[in-house]
Amino acid sequence: MTTRVGVSPDPVTTAPAVRRAWWRSRLDGATTPARLRLLLALLILLSLAWGALAALTADQHASAAASVVAVSEPLSLDAEQVYTSLSDADATEANAFLAGGLEPAAARQRFQADINEAAIKIEAASALVGASAARTQLPGHLAKQTSAADTAIGDDLAILSGQLPVYTDEVGTARADNRLGLPLGAAYLREASTLLRETLLPAASDIYTRESAQLTSASAQATGLPLLVIAVLAGLGIGFVFYRSSRWLSRHTHRMVNYGLLLAGLAGLVSLVWLAGSFVIGRSDLLHAQQQGSAPAQAYARAEVAALQAHADESLTLIDNKGDDSYQKDYVTQQNRLGPGPGTLLAATGSSQAAAQAQAWYQAHKALRVKDNTGDHSAAVQSALDGEAASSFRQLSQTLSEGIETHQAVFASSARSGRDAFTGLAIGMIVASLVMVAGCAWGLSRRLAEYR
Amino acid sequence: MSARPRPWRALLVVLTAAGLTLGATVAAAAPGQPSAGSGVRAARAAAAPAKDTCDPTASSLRPSGPPQVTPGSFMAKIRQRGYLIAGVDQSTYHFGFLNPLTGQIEGFDIDMIRAVAKAIFGDASNAHLHFKAISDDQRIPDVTSGAVDIVAHTMTITCERLKSVDFSSVYFEAHQRVLVLKTSTATSLDDLHGQKVCATSGSDSIARITAHKAIPVPVAQWTDCLVLLQQGDVAAISTDDAILDGLAAQDPWTKLIGPPLTDEPYGLAISRQHPEFVRFVNAVLQQLRDNGQWAASYRHWTGTPAPALKPVQYAG
Repeated sequence: MTTRVGVSPDPVTTAPAVRRAWWRSRLDGATTPARLRLLLALLILLSLAWGALAALTADQHASAAASVVAVSEPLSLDAEQVYTSLSDADATEANAFLAGGLEPAAARQRFQADINEAAIKIEAASALVGASAARTQLPGHLAKQTSAADTAIGDDLAILSGQLPVYTDEVGTARADNRLGLPLGAAYLREASTLLRETLLPAASDIYTRESAQLTSASAQATGLPLLVIAVLAGLGIGFVFYRSSRWLSRHTHRMVNYGLLLAGLAGLVSLVWLAGSFVIGRSDLLHAQQQGSAPAQAYARAEVAALQAHADESLTLIDNKGDDSYQKDYVTQQNRLGPGPGTLLAATGSSQAAAQAQAWYQAHKALRVKDNTGDHSAAVQSALDGEAASSFRQLSQTLSEGIETHQAVFASSARSGRDAFTGLAIGMIVASLVMVAGCAWGLSRRLAEYR
Repeated sequence: MSARPRPWRALLVVLTAAGLTLGATVAAAAPGQPSAGSGVRAARAAAAPAKDTCDPTASSLRPSGPPQVTPGSFMAKIRQRGYLIAGVDQSTYHFGFLNPLTGQIEGFDIDMIRAVAKAIFGDASNAHLHFKAISDDQRIPDVTSGAVDIVAHTMTITCERLKSVDFSSVYFEAHQRVLVLKTSTATSLDDLHGQKVCATSGSDSIARITAHKAIPVPVAQWTDCLVLLQQGDVAAISTDDAILDGLAAQDPWTKLIGPPLTDEPYGLAISRQHPEFVRFVNAVLQQLRDNGQWAASYRHWTGTPAPALKPVQYAG
C-alpha cells in the first residue's frame, strides 16, 4: 500500500490502478460509518487470523518438543537400556560360568536385575508405542514417517518380548546342567548367548536406531524455522495494517489516539515478541539437549555395548574355545569398532579416560590370551574373573556408564526446559488475538457511536 | 623318573642322543638295536609305498623298556621347561571336559596325559601340566607346529593322519554308533532315512550319515548336538560310541542304537620329530595296562568294566 487512504483518486490508466480505483470509489462513495464498519470487520478478521496462525505455530513447536521429551527420547532410552541390560546379562552369565563351581550369588542377582530391567523397559516401550497415537498430531510427513516406524518397532518389540523368555529358559537349563557338573551346560550357555546376539540384540538395536532417527526428526521439527518465519512476517504485516488504520482513523476522527486500537496493537506486539522469544529460547534449549545431551549419550551407549559384547567374548572364549576361535575373532572386531582411533566409537565419545582404560583392557586381554594359548588356562580364567582383565574392563565400563548418565541428565533437563518454553504459548496466542478483537471492537464502536 | 645308573644303559643313552642330533652317521655305530632316529625312519620309508599294508592299530613304535627320561631327549627338554603342554578336548564328557564343579579339565584322555606327566616329572601336579583346549581341526597343525607336545582328544588313528603325525599305541577302541531319544522307534542309522542327524562339522561321522541317506546337521561341538536333540531339532546324533556314551550320561532320556558301524582306534598324537617321545609314551601306556590303572580309569569314566585287551601291536 503506497497510496494514501482518503485522498481523491488520481487519474489512472493501468489495469491494477483501475481495479484499485473501483474499490476506492466504492469506499469513497460510502458513508463514514459504513467505512468504519468495514475497517472493523477487516481488523477483527486480521486479529483472528493472527491468533490462528500464531497458535498453530506455537502448537506445532510445542507438540514436536513434547514428542521429543515424552515419546521419542524415552523410547530410544528404553531401547538403549534393553540393549545394555541384555548385553550385561550375557557378559555376567558367561563370567559366572567361568568361575566354575556354584554360581556366585552376586552374579546371579546382577543377571536377574538385568533381565528385570530389560523386561520392564520392553513393556514400557510397548506402552509408549501404543500411546504414540498422540504423535499423529504431528504434521503430515512426520506423522506418516512415525506410523511406518512404529509398525517396525512393534515387530521388534514382539521379538523382544517373545524371545526373552526363551533366552532365560536356555540360561536356566545351562545353570541346571552346570550344577550337575555336565559340560552340556556350557553348550546351552553358548546357545543362549547366540540367541541373544543374533535375535534379541538386533531387535533392540533396530528400535534404538529408528527411535534415534525419530528423535532427531522431532527435534528438527521443534527447532525448524520456516513456519515461524511465516508467522513473524504475517505478524509484521498485520501490525502495519493496524498502524495505517490508526493513522486513517486519527485523520478522519480528529483524535490523536484510539485507545482500542492501541490496545489491540500492543496485544499483537506482545504476542509476536512472546512467540519469537519462546521459540528462540526453546530452540536453543532443544539444540543444547541434542548436542550436549542425546548425541554424546548415544556415543557412550554405543561404546558401552561394544565393550560389553567384547567382555562376553572374553569369557566365552575361556569357557569353550573348542569349536573355533569365533569369540576371539568377535572380540577383535569389537576392539576395532571401539578404538580409540579416528572414526571409532570411543573417539566419538571424546573421552580420553575411556580411551586409556580401553587400551589397558586390551593389554590385559592380550596377556590373558597368551596365557590361555600356552596352556595356562587357570591363570587366564583368573585374569578374566578378578585379575587384570576383569578390573580394567570394570573401569572402562564404569567410565562409559557414567558418560551415558551424565549426558542423559543434560538431555533431560535441557529438553524439558526447551519444551517448557512452549508451555501455554498457543493459548496465549489465542488470548492475545481475542484481546485484539476486543480492542478493535471497543475502539471503533466508540467512533461509530458518534454517528448515531 | 630319572635314568638309573647302569653302565650299558648310559652308553645307549649317549648313542641315542647322538643319533638324534647327528643322524645316520652316528646311528650306524649302534648296530645291535635300531636307534630312535634314522633307523625307524628308514624302516617306515620302506613300508610307506605299500599303502595297502597300512594298519592304524599297528603303526606305533615299540617302547624300549620302562619309560625313561634320557638326557638330550625331548622328554628332558620338557622336564627342563617345567611343564608338559597337552592339546585336549574341553567338552567331551568322560574323555576331556571342563568339569563345571571344579573348573578342572578331567577325563579318560586327561588321565593318560597325567600319567605321561608323572613319568616325566615324578608327579602329575597341575604345575607340571598346561592344557590347551583345541578344536578337532587344530589337532594336527598344533602337533606339527610344536604348539603342543602331545594331543589327547578322542583322536582316531588313521592312515591319512599318520602321514602328518605319529601316534601312540591304541589306548581306546571306539565305534561309530547312533544316539536317539528313548521315545524313538529307530533301531539303526538306516531307520533315519531322510531325517536330520547331528555331527560336528569336519568329522568323519558326517560322511557316514550322508552314506546312510540321512540329512547331516553340522555343528561346532558334540554337546551342541545334544542341545539340538533335546530341543527336537534333530532326530539323532551319530559318532563314536565313546562320545555318545558321554552325551547319554548327560541325558537319561537318550539311548544308543544299532550295530557298531566302524572301528575307531584312539591314539595320542605326537610330532614325527620326536620318535623317542612316542616310545616313551608307549612305555607309559604299557605300564598303565600292566598295573591296572588303565582298566581302573576306563571303569571310572565310562562306568563299564574295561574290555579284554587286544594284544598291543607295534610297527617297529
